[in-house]
Amino acid sequence: MSLLEARQLTMRFGGLVAVNAVDLTLEPGMIASLIGPNGAGKTTFFNMLSGLYVPSSGQLFFEDREITGTEPHQLTRYGIVRTFQNIRLFGNMTVLENVLVGRHCRMQTGLLGTLLRPPKVMAEEAAARRAAFSLLDYVGLGTERAQESAKNLPYGDQRRLEIARALASNPKVLLLDEPTAGMNPNETADLTRFIYRIRDELDLTVMLIEHDMKVVMDISDRVSVMEYGIKIAQGTPDEVRANPRVIEAYLGKDEDSPAVESPAPEPLNGRVESLKDTSTEG
Amino acid sequence: MKQWQRIVLYVMVGYFILLLGPVAGLDLPRIVKDISQSPSLLITQLLVGLINGAIIAVIALGYTLVYGIIELINFAHGDLYMLGGFAALTVMGAFGVQDGAPFITSILPMLAALLVAAGFCAGLNVLTERYAYRPLRNAPRLAPLISAIGMSFIFQNLGLFWGGLRSFIPIMGNTAAAPKSFPDLLPRNDILEAIGIESKVDFTVKDLVVLVVAVVLMVALNLFVQRTPAGKAMRAVAQNRDAAKIVGINVDQIIVLTFLIGGALAGSAGLLVGLYNNTIVFTMGFTAGLRAFTAAVLGGIGNITGAMLGGVLIGLLSALSDQYLSSRWTDAWVFGVLVLILVFRPSGLLGENLQEKV
Amino acid sequence: MNILKLIRSSSVLGAVGALTVLLFGGWSGAVIGWLLGTGMGYMSSQTKLIANPKTGAQIGGTAGLGLGIWLLVASLLEGLLLLPLSGRPAIPFGTALLFGLAGLGLAVLSAVLMAAFQGLANPAQKQATRLTLAFVLLIFPFADQIAQTGWIATVIQIQIFAILALGLNIPVGYAGLLDLGYAAFFAIGAYTTGMLSSAHLGIEWNFWIVIWIAAAVAAIAGIILGAPTLPLRGDYLAIVTLGFGEIIPIVFRNLTEIKITEPISSLLATLLNRPELAICLVGCTEPFNLTNGETGINPIGRPSLPIVGTFGTSPFPWYYLVLLLVVFSMFMIGRLRDSRLGRAWAAIREDELAASAMGINRVSTKLLAFAMGATFSGFAGAFYAAYITAIFPSVFDFSVSVIILCMVILGGLGNMTGVLLGCIIIMAADRLYLPKLAEVLKGILNTSVLPNISSPALRDFITTSLDPIQMRLFLFGLVLVIMMIVRPEGLVPSAQRRAELHEPDPAANDSLADVRSAG
Repeated sequence: MSLLEARQLTMRFGGLVAVNAVDLTLEPGMIASLIGPNGAGKTTFFNMLSGLYVPSSGQLFFEDREITGTEPHQLTRYGIVRTFQNIRLFGNMTVLENVLVGRHCRMQTGLLGTLLRPPKVMAEEAAARRAAFSLLDYVGLGTERAQESAKNLPYGDQRRLEIARALASNPKVLLLDEPTAGMNPNETADLTRFIYRIRDELDLTVMLIEHDMKVVMDISDRVSVMEYGIKIAQGTPDEVRANPRVIEAYLGKDEDSPAVESPAPEPLNGRVESLKDTSTEG
Repeated sequence: MKQWQRIVLYVMVGYFILLLGPVAGLDLPRIVKDISQSPSLLITQLLVGLINGAIIAVIALGYTLVYGIIELINFAHGDLYMLGGFAALTVMGAFGVQDGAPFITSILPMLAALLVAAGFCAGLNVLTERYAYRPLRNAPRLAPLISAIGMSFIFQNLGLFWGGLRSFIPIMGNTAAAPKSFPDLLPRNDILEAIGIESKVDFTVKDLVVLVVAVVLMVALNLFVQRTPAGKAMRAVAQNRDAAKIVGINVDQIIVLTFLIGGALAGSAGLLVGLYNNTIVFTMGFTAGLRAFTAAVLGGIGNITGAMLGGVLIGLLSALSDQYLSSRWTDAWVFGVLVLILVFRPSGLLGENLQEKV
Repeated sequence: MNILKLIRSSSVLGAVGALTVLLFGGWSGAVIGWLLGTGMGYMSSQTKLIANPKTGAQIGGTAGLGLGIWLLVASLLEGLLLLPLSGRPAIPFGTALLFGLAGLGLAVLSAVLMAAFQGLANPAQKQATRLTLAFVLLIFPFADQIAQTGWIATVIQIQIFAILALGLNIPVGYAGLLDLGYAAFFAIGAYTTGMLSSAHLGIEWNFWIVIWIAAAVAAIAGIILGAPTLPLRGDYLAIVTLGFGEIIPIVFRNLTEIKITEPISSLLATLLNRPELAICLVGCTEPFNLTNGETGINPIGRPSLPIVGTFGTSPFPWYYLVLLLVVFSMFMIGRLRDSRLGRAWAAIREDELAASAMGINRVSTKLLAFAMGATFSGFAGAFYAAYITAIFPSVFDFSVSVIILCMVILGGLGNMTGVLLGCIIIMAADRLYLPKLAEVLKGILNTSVLPNISSPALRDFITTSLDPIQMRLFLFGLVLVIMMIVRPEGLVPSAQRRAELHEPDPAANDSLADVRSAG
């Protein structure tokens, strides 16, 4: 049984086809990667999976239930949650509040409960706080900075906080959009281990967009490659690495792909290099 | 939203307008009867709407220009136009022109009033930009908007104060807050009759002059924006301020220029409305401003042609509503249209859809 | 002790106190000294560390003395100089001195007391501070009556607007939805009360029931008017709310001859030429007069209580009722803010898109912000209608919405203390100080200035144009502009908003709707 399935998913912006009839399935417990050159349509694809874009055509299924066009907050409730390529924390809220917002959809308190504050509501709030604190601990942020503004955290901690916020909603599928962007090799290695850990300990299915080929090749059970909105290859890291179309896509002559995504911050060369490195190793 | 949901929504909105509309004067059978009884009245009203619409369009251009460049709803723009009317009236007072003065002798005062009103408003607008908006250019959008609301209040109070200067400007009349009568200088000779067309509709020299001036202003603006290097720079800044800066455009200068032009247009509109309606009052800026803003939004804010189209449409709507619906409800209809447009087509008639990146 | 230094250190509140004394004279110095002294005592703990009650009393005493000197000097100036200047008889030196010393004494006493409480250990300190505040609020009407300052009517108005400002703070301050038509909900609350408890429609329900209905109706109106604005970005949203704010008074002004016929049946009736087919819904025999137009609804029923009886012209029951409403509003709004819902509002304000992706239903969250804001204005409207016993459409125009917004912004978006402070400052300036200033100024001009001016034009100019009340709008506008430029976060900002308003915020322009409708 597939957990999340995209069938012929397509996104058009005016005349531009950003994602073109992509099929993709996620099996429970797998770590899948989505790679491709800038502007290949990866983030657009993520935006459709997380409900931020309504696909122009095609269908999405989650646990065999059609979710095409479902509002993002509803998807979070179902168990699909994401992080953003350019971290989108609630910068002026505290670290703790950020996590509590992630917990929002697992809490019941309605308007009346808020105003009257019966014991049940207080208990739920206390439980949410406990859960938030233990999550902060879990992602390695510690609890002593819980009352700080989120935007005052260092970059790497902001990434962790974004993941903690996402995990607070007890997701089944975690979508990570370039989780290692801007991290140094140590931090990247930490994060890689961390992704394994949450997959195993929290029973998660993880899908990530990633440019760091080392991470991708290390971590992924399956790699899908997109170029110009089309899925050009899919398979185990080894299969993808050997695929001539993928190598061509990365080393190809021109890079004038349609500008759908904002360009990623890291230099293109590094990515190509790392692809070559890993391919010679294997 | 799915197609059928949209259709159901439209049908429901339409039904409610038909159900509750009669309370606000939208009584279709009566309107049909009124129109069929006196078609010439309809044409007269269309004409009134067209001319008022042209004036609204001139104001709306100021909104749309500024919004196009710095994405600010310049709330004070309507009140600036009101001050333009007061400046023009002051010039009229200085020349001592009276109602029904011969057209030839009143040309000079009118030209002077046009220059002074346009210049005054342009200057004031530039100062406002410099001291009330520029310090907030990098602040969140709320800040300059609130600042603009504040400027609108200040201008309105300035108008009240100006209207109370009877000791120095006798033409302002006795009471500060009362509507001021603006000299009726444009001849009311019927042009249609003069060229031999028999009709119940009057199209006077006055109508023609106001219409022509408004159209000339709009055409001149359009030419300026489309043909001159400065206009090109304006369009560039509107498209992408940072990119414009990179290619060497002095963005501050262009913004000042925009406020200068917008202010001049508002001042001219102030004179035009004085000449056309022969009355100005310090509160007229608020309603006119909202109507002009509605016009700009209707046409697609940031779009110059759109503002002109929207202005004329709003003018027609108000004139027709005054005649056929109920003048008491006209403002509600105009704002109702504003709400409907913003909700159903925020990009306006000629505007483009904005796309956000994630 | 350096007296000059002392005076300078209490310059802001001292100036306020002195201005009060100069304008109002009499025992007003004693009342304002008591109020400001209490405030000063509290604030001294914000700037200095107060270890124990004794140091607190010392610090409070010095601060109170500084304030007292301002009051004393002002009393003497007022009694001996200003009164004759403005054409009223001067009072004897001894009386002026007595007024001044009373102000000084009360200022010192209350500052000492309050500051001493600040030196207590934590739970006791909070308790004592609260009790003192409660005491001040409860006792104020009596103090006002004894001192014959006549401020209570204005204070009731201030409290009405305090509820409104606290309510507006929900959508604007907490959820970041700029609402420029907030007076519409005030109007809806007031008109609901007017219609349900007056002879106009023949429904004369009890105020204690009607106030809840008014709040509920306002809340529903908040949802109905809020719904169309949901997909809109910040400034468009502001304009649509402004549009509604304009439409509602027009509607109330004109709903005097309602006749509603079902449109499809009436169309059929016209086409088939059979008028009896038209289904008439409202106002069939004669047009229905719902709001009584410009004249408004008058009189409106007043609340009554077992012991107090029907609330009448005495301000006392009104004062305590509205005080209760303010405290109730603060209590409820505080709970809303510190809850799951309050966090959702903050998240929507910070980044709507991310909030939505984190599982927050932006539709219901935003609607609840509008509805909750409207609810409290419904309370305020109901009280207002019963208090004034008459309502007209002109009370609820755009400038009211903007004045309430001014209060929220001046005090500090998102911070209840700040909002209350903003409300007190603006309302007191607008309803208390400006009219009195106009009166005093007129007196001075008539007795001391005008007779010395020979030019008739200039004299005419001065009499007609130098009227502080006429400059109301100008002052409001100036406050808005200056606040935005100098201190956009307000006088007492919430920590979050301060940070936001001092940095460019690209996420503020995002709207999920734009994104979702793109396809």
